Amino acid sequence: MEKFTRRDFLRLTGAGAATGALGFPLTLHAEATANKDAKRAHVVIIGGGFGGATCAKYLKLQEPDLNVTLIEPDKQFITCPFSNYVIAGFRSMRNITQRYDVLEKKHDIQVVHDLALQVEAAKRKVKLKSGKTLSYDRLVVSPGVDLTWGAIKYYDPVTANYMPHAWKAGPQTLLLRKKLEAMRNGGRFIIVAPPNPYRCPPGPYERASVVAHYFQRYKPKSKIIILDAKDEFSKRKLFVDGWQKLYPGMIEWVPGSKGGTAKSVNISRMTIETELDTFKGDVINVIPPQNAGRIAYMAGLEDATGWCPVNPMTFESKKHKGVYVIGDAAIAGEMPKSGFSANSQGKIAAAAIVAELRGQPPAEASYANTCYSLLAPDYGISIAGVYRATPEGIKTVPESGGMSPMDADADFRAEEAKFASGWYASITADTWG
Amino acid sequence: MKRVTRAGAMLALVSILNACQTSPSPPGTPDPVTASATSHDKPAPAKPGITPEAARNLANNCFTCHGPNGRSPGSIPSLTNLSAYTIARKLKQFKDDDSFSTVMGRQAKGYRDAEIEALANYIAGLKK
Repeated sequence: MEKFTRRDFLRLTGAGAATGALGFPLTLHAEATANKDAKRAHVVIIGGGFGGATCAKYLKLQEPDLNVTLIEPDKQFITCPFSNYVIAGFRSMRNITQRYDVLEKKHDIQVVHDLALQVEAAKRKVKLKSGKTLSYDRLVVSPGVDLTWGAIKYYDPVTANYMPHAWKAGPQTLLLRKKLEAMRNGGRFIIVAPPNPYRCPPGPYERASVVAHYFQRYKPKSKIIILDAKDEFSKRKLFVDGWQKLYPGMIEWVPGSKGGTAKSVNISRMTIETELDTFKGDVINVIPPQNAGRIAYMAGLEDATGWCPVNPMTFESKKHKGVYVIGDAAIAGEMPKSGFSANSQGKIAAAAIVAELRGQPPAEASYANTCYSLLAPDYGISIAGVYRATPEGIKTVPESGGMSPMDADADFRAEEAKFASGWYASITADTWG
Repeated sequence: MKRVTRAGAMLALVSILNACQTSPSPPGTPDPVTASATSHDKPAPAKPGITPEAARNLANNCFTCHGPNGRSPGSIPSLTNLSAYTIARKLKQFKDDDSFSTVMGRQAKGYRDAEIEALANYIAGLKK
């Protein structure tokens, strides 16, 4: 009898090839999964925002017997979309608060209100703050963004109580609203806008617009200054055109090349130091640079950019097999970091996971995005895109998407504002309903 | 880096498969698409080159704005109770700027006619 060597074993099982670049035996795990009933596999999802909640729901829609656990620290989810309207005073916090009861009861998803602290990708385990450990067959990580504290000198969780970021909706949203309400007529409101990439590219400029709407009615002598790290921003021409029509002389934008980049904050003087100047404000909103949520870093899913590289067809991590990263934390090519993008990616990741568990190749991926911004409650603009996976990453389909027309009339803007509300009702129903 | 090439290979494979399905069959061989569409009583038969799973992925993009399975809870029109023909015709009109829209023209331009037909079939075939 011939000696049966380890090399023969690897050749026969194909494990040699699979081990290759990643260094752990993929084939052995694939066998373990195949032995289990694919339908009974356990998918754990970290993060109950637009990406994670959508993915959980669409996994169950496609494979009702699948065991799906959603880990989310908060009992309810306050959306960043539409939080600018709470800051401007024409929506309530209740309007932007989503619950998990439909996902639990109607879709049979286990929602665990806990915080994921660590992922052991090699052992397929997630450690939670409560001390529990969950085993998974597939993991989806949808942690959103973390604010990069200290990237602007002295801007940290303490100074953020004096100069709110309001970029994660919740108490910070109300804090900024209260400060604007308390501001004198004739005061100066400063918004510090972040460098790319960051959550919700048009968000800082929509915020300036709707706060201008509030000022115009209640504090008309007030001014808004946007100190920007960038020289260009999403839908800029449409925003600037709208500002001239609706709020002439009220909003000033200082681009990075003209000294707009914030270097440090001073809460006792209420100033922002930029490369060229010092700006004093009555209310200051600092939206700092951002990176992928903490758990992505702890799990080793990030690359040197601070974001997570993924396969554009499936959103499976390029760092760890069996782990998918969706939403703001992922590097998604030309897709913006938006709630809509996260929702779209959640569906594709769900489809890819179900296909893989069934031993099938993933179906061709298709992604979309539409982001509405309001310049006033009856003045809406939008940007849209349709995207495909290519070997070079996710690309916009040529000729598709783009901005609302520049020359549209008031009826068109009002129609888009109406659709913005419909958009919110639909996307939240698609995600949590 | 290995994973990138694998993804690329997968894409190439998918396009080859699609190409195979759309290319005319030699005379005498049964058309696999028609054969499967008639022999199985499946809802929303896929158009040549677009698998039912790919059609679902395309259609899922619609539900973010038009609501779950096309049932809109707000001011955006629902897609329920529309025939596949109506959905596809309307989308093609939006795509060709033959019908007024705010955003649908920009969206519809992202899809080939065959994809529009496949996603329209999928949506019309969903349970009401």
